[in-house]
Amino acid sequence: MRPARVVVVGHGMVGARFVEELVERVAGTPAGARAVEVTVLGAEEYEPYNRVLLSEVVAGKVDVASLTLPRRDVAGVRVLPGVAAYAVDRERRVVLADDGSSHAYDHLVLATGARARVPALAGLAPGGPLPAGVHALRTLDDAREIVAATVNARRAVVLGGGVLGLEAACGLARRGLRVTVVHGGPHAMDRQLDADAGHVVGRGLTALGVDVRADAAAEGVVLDGGRAGGLRLGDADDGVVPAELVVLTAGTEPETALARAAGLAVGRGVLVDRTCTTADPRVHAIGDCAEPPEGGTGLVAQGWDQARRLATRLAAELTERGAAPGGGTGAIPGAGRAPDEPPDATGTDDVVRLKAHGLDVVAMGVCGSRRDVGRPVRSVRLSDPDGGRHVEVVVADGVLVGATCVGDARVAADLTAAYTRRTPVPADPAQLLLRRVAGAASAAAEPSPTLMPDRATVCRCNGVTKGDIVACFEHGAREVEDVARATRATTGCGGCTEAVCGIVDWLRRSTPAGADASADAVGTGSRDGEIALDVQNRTGGVQSAV
Amino acid sequence: MTATHCPYCALQCAMTLGPADAEARRVRAPVAVTGREFPTNRGGLCQKGWTSAQVLGATDRLTTPLVRGADGELHPATWDDALDLVAGRLTEIQERHGRDAVAVFGGGGLTNEKAYALGKFARVVLRTPFIDYNGRFCMASAAAAANRSLGVDRGLPFPLADLGGAQAVLLLGSNLAETMPPSTQHLAGARAAGGLVVVDPRHSPTAALADDGAGLHLQAVPGTDLAVLLALLHVVWAEGLVDADYLAARTTGADDVRRSVAAWWPERAERVTGVPADDLRRAARVLAAAAPVNGGAGAVVLTGRGAEQSTQGTATVTAAINLALSLGLPGRPSSGYGAITGQGNGQGGREHGQKADQLPGYRKIDDPAARAHVAAVWGVDPDDLPGPGVAAVELVRRCGTPGGPRALLVHGCNLVVSAPDNQAVRERLQALDLLVVCDFLPSETALLADVVLPVTQWAEEEGTMTSLEGRVIRRRRALAPPPGVRSELDVLHDLAARLGVTSGFPTDPAEVFDELARASSGGIADYGGLSHARLDAAEAAGQALHWPVPAARDGAEHPGTPRLFADGFPRPDGRALMVPVDHRGPSDRLHPDQPLYLVTGRVLQHYQSGAQTRRVPALAAAQPEPYVELHPLLADRLGIADGEPVEVTSARGTAVAVAHVTPGARPDTVFMPFHWSGEGSANRLTTDATDPISGMPEFKVAAVRVRAHVPERAEVGA
Repeated sequence: MRPARVVVVGHGMVGARFVEELVERVAGTPAGARAVEVTVLGAEEYEPYNRVLLSEVVAGKVDVASLTLPRRDVAGVRVLPGVAAYAVDRERRVVLADDGSSHAYDHLVLATGARARVPALAGLAPGGPLPAGVHALRTLDDAREIVAATVNARRAVVLGGGVLGLEAACGLARRGLRVTVVHGGPHAMDRQLDADAGHVVGRGLTALGVDVRADAAAEGVVLDGGRAGGLRLGDADDGVVPAELVVLTAGTEPETALARAAGLAVGRGVLVDRTCTTADPRVHAIGDCAEPPEGGTGLVAQGWDQARRLATRLAAELTERGAAPGGGTGAIPGAGRAPDEPPDATGTDDVVRLKAHGLDVVAMGVCGSRRDVGRPVRSVRLSDPDGGRHVEVVVADGVLVGATCVGDARVAADLTAAYTRRTPVPADPAQLLLRRVAGAASAAAEPSPTLMPDRATVCRCNGVTKGDIVACFEHGAREVEDVARATRATTGCGGCTEAVCGIVDWLRRSTPAGADASADAVGTGSRDGEIALDVQNRTGGVQSAV
Repeated sequence: MTATHCPYCALQCAMTLGPADAEARRVRAPVAVTGREFPTNRGGLCQKGWTSAQVLGATDRLTTPLVRGADGELHPATWDDALDLVAGRLTEIQERHGRDAVAVFGGGGLTNEKAYALGKFARVVLRTPFIDYNGRFCMASAAAAANRSLGVDRGLPFPLADLGGAQAVLLLGSNLAETMPPSTQHLAGARAAGGLVVVDPRHSPTAALADDGAGLHLQAVPGTDLAVLLALLHVVWAEGLVDADYLAARTTGADDVRRSVAAWWPERAERVTGVPADDLRRAARVLAAAAPVNGGAGAVVLTGRGAEQSTQGTATVTAAINLALSLGLPGRPSSGYGAITGQGNGQGGREHGQKADQLPGYRKIDDPAARAHVAAVWGVDPDDLPGPGVAAVELVRRCGTPGGPRALLVHGCNLVVSAPDNQAVRERLQALDLLVVCDFLPSETALLADVVLPVTQWAEEEGTMTSLEGRVIRRRRALAPPPGVRSELDVLHDLAARLGVTSGFPTDPAEVFDELARASSGGIADYGGLSHARLDAAEAAGQALHWPVPAARDGAEHPGTPRLFADGFPRPDGRALMVPVDHRGPSDRLHPDQPLYLVTGRVLQHYQSGAQTRRVPALAAAQPEPYVELHPLLADRLGIADGEPVEVTSARGTAVAVAHVTPGARPDTVFMPFHWSGEGSANRLTTDATDPISGMPEFKVAAVRVRAHVPERAEVGA
């Protein structure tokens, strides 16, 4: 039997992940790796790289080499870098490439991604090359060019105040440029944030040296001898924002030309069902080029989830018995979810997190203007604009269904964990708004011998409490060594030595010189105003210890 | 006065046993214990160590063989009757069902001599491939990963005291402040430098050591240690903090690892691990700054069971090793990667033939040269040696099933408490035709046996242990065993004789050790140059002997190997192998019916299944019963108050234990210590899903439902 042929068009983050997942699953089936033959057409000459980190490259925080994703040099996978598909003959099930080659498929996976949207502005030729000093931020070349441009630029304008725009703006500010974000919406990140949260983000940006012009209509790029000189705004009052560097972060457009030409239905992206399949059962689309029923988020998590699901399904279909199920008693755990698990269409992949030094913004699920979830929700918020903080949580049926968190990275991490795993939330959702109080597990955290309760463990290694040490003292121990011999406090890791010394010192200080060292304790009274102790000496006289 | 070591964990604290004083007599201990100066424990002992002599005087100490009678009860028997019975039944079962119908299950607490003799007994007398041991529950993933990447598995490839010079220490899934408290003395240097990084879902006493500026606690979601490591790797590569010269000169596969972590940027890892991205960055930078390449004094990466007892345990340890290699640590001063061995002889126990795929000296049982060497020492035909068996969980799973083992000999392990999904384990053991347990106490497993053989305890025997730092140390006899108690070496000798093998099973530990030395000679764990006499002399001279210690050459004794990797890695090309790994998550997944994580672990006062420590009144008083630790917010949500009974249910079963409400837990995670049997036994809940490479079960993560326990009301009139 000839191997099933899978052709993947696009070798970006999602296409590469799909190949990895497919190969791994197929290798795990009885049919083995040879059951499937994968051909990958990648239009770029580069090996696949982590596009999510391009803004980090702009910020100068990561080494470009660290973006390169794993290679799949395994039998059954053929990667053709620099070979672009230009047509699909669905009748004959063949992909035609620009190098004259053709690739027959049993299944075709489109992972062509998206390109930066270049807005219609004066100074930018539609479809033509961008003028010097004007850059999109979508590819490794874009990032490199922006980094190169920062050497000579003092001022930058970023057109588009979404997540990528803000990351680019903060990154450029970090490099010492004066940055203005020009944004058409009412405030930055208005797709994810409501006005109050947006206001706090705006103040945070200001603090980082980033100026935001909201509700601004960009009209054209000002060119100065063919080079960018600034951005002209429609509002006459605003005039021109001068800048030697213009970065376009005005969204993306799915690459759908190939699908459209092949007669597949295309909306904003290639229309697919929940299984990432087009109307043609042999053609699939995943990642930014696809438009699933729930809509594309533009987040890589969604694309990876699609890649995993499609790989699981195809691996099962293209091999005899299908992929080994994961988990379960005794089974070697499979990769990721079991194939029969329902697709994750309920929205836990939609966590949006800003990667910007000094500005923490996370939004997920029900947030910003996305409020209609079709069931009763409870929302609680903490508004602390002067503290640079804004937290909102939305709870339904005892689980977190949405959250917005600005200015508290720790709370954001906890909310993300609770949201993505649907773990039970506290009885009062307001508890989610604040950082959890950390546990005090060590005796070292106890304030002082005076305030420490008797039951507090001083020596963990030997389970010795303050009360034990006090009792030991009352039985005549006067030195730390005596206490150590009798209680074994300090004889394990030695970490409590200071605390035991402190308690013994305090006991000595608060015991009158006249009290006999071998006195028997008969009770406790007040010591240092807190704990009381009466000491009966050998002759039967009772003295106050304080 | 007898200089020996503690019976419990792999730290093997040095102690002196003297005549019982008043305090010892008060607690029914036949000897008095004091801490002894030694580089590992520096004279310190924890409460388990101080009270260890009380187990010698346990009121229910086994002092006579027990045989299950027709009435279903265990009855005292003579040694001869018990051994005749065992030998007779083993012969009968093997005649009827084949040699493979008998299996052996060993323990990581046995001395090197006993572990070696047990492995030999299985291969030479029983001639069964089916031997494995409880080290599979604790060290197998670290062993598999270290062998693959570094070419050798010695828990710490440097003396423990080297930690003291490190500027940063990363601890993943280890609660050593409770499991081996005196060891924390060696973290003082890293803490003073603000360099202690602890990864744990709980704010454990060990995590607390990182408080107040001593370092960082990364409170990761259970089962995500691997993702934490991948993020740390990502940061050290992305920020250019790696030791490029070291990687070029001493490793292969670095580029594959770099690529494999390109997709693990901190913000993505934050979503998976629950650890804030900036904390991941900070942790990576703290470690990197301590690396010699960046001018630091040294950095150490350590893993414990929390990271290893996982279906991706081998991958997790591999990532930890990748991190250490990326920073150029292994083989450098005060630097490296290490696994913190758990059981007393968890190290030696995994080197000399208790493992299903292994012969003495860490030799592979499917390697013809290894078989020839060991067969020559044993005086048998290499072709008569069985091949590899199966790992512990699979071995137990097959017990009493068609085609599976029908008889099982258990040594030094309380399986029905310590194995995962232990109610299923109990069923398997009950399905056997013959269960023989050697123990010194009536453990839960012994009580299921058809024959129980009473054996010596630590202070009653001579032998050697190999501690967590690969140092071979002497266990010495301080007192005679009670009448009726025999050493396992005697038991194996007597059984071998009854089964027709009349030589090769000496009962003198020193003699057994000499044979072990020859059998291990030339292997990875080479004890060829060691003997009891040399160990005694070296200790008296203040010298430590860490393996490998090859046999003397031209009269010159090998000085031992305190530090590995200074000049290379024991792999064919001399380089460490960097293997890319990826995070997949635990086998149990949360879902609406089981929306919380369970993590299991240990408390300071108890050791392993608790069979010994639960019998010490002071320890039992301090930790009297199983419990479920939960966060106040979770307790509030579930309507559970501190001290109330809680019901925890997983796909395997239900356990009931009292609630300990503490802010040290994550609100999405409950914790249970596993030292108890009965309805509060944590291992009723754990899964027997195993790591595909090491065979290690996933003790550390289970999906559970938690609710207040309402005891069933007794029916009126019933």
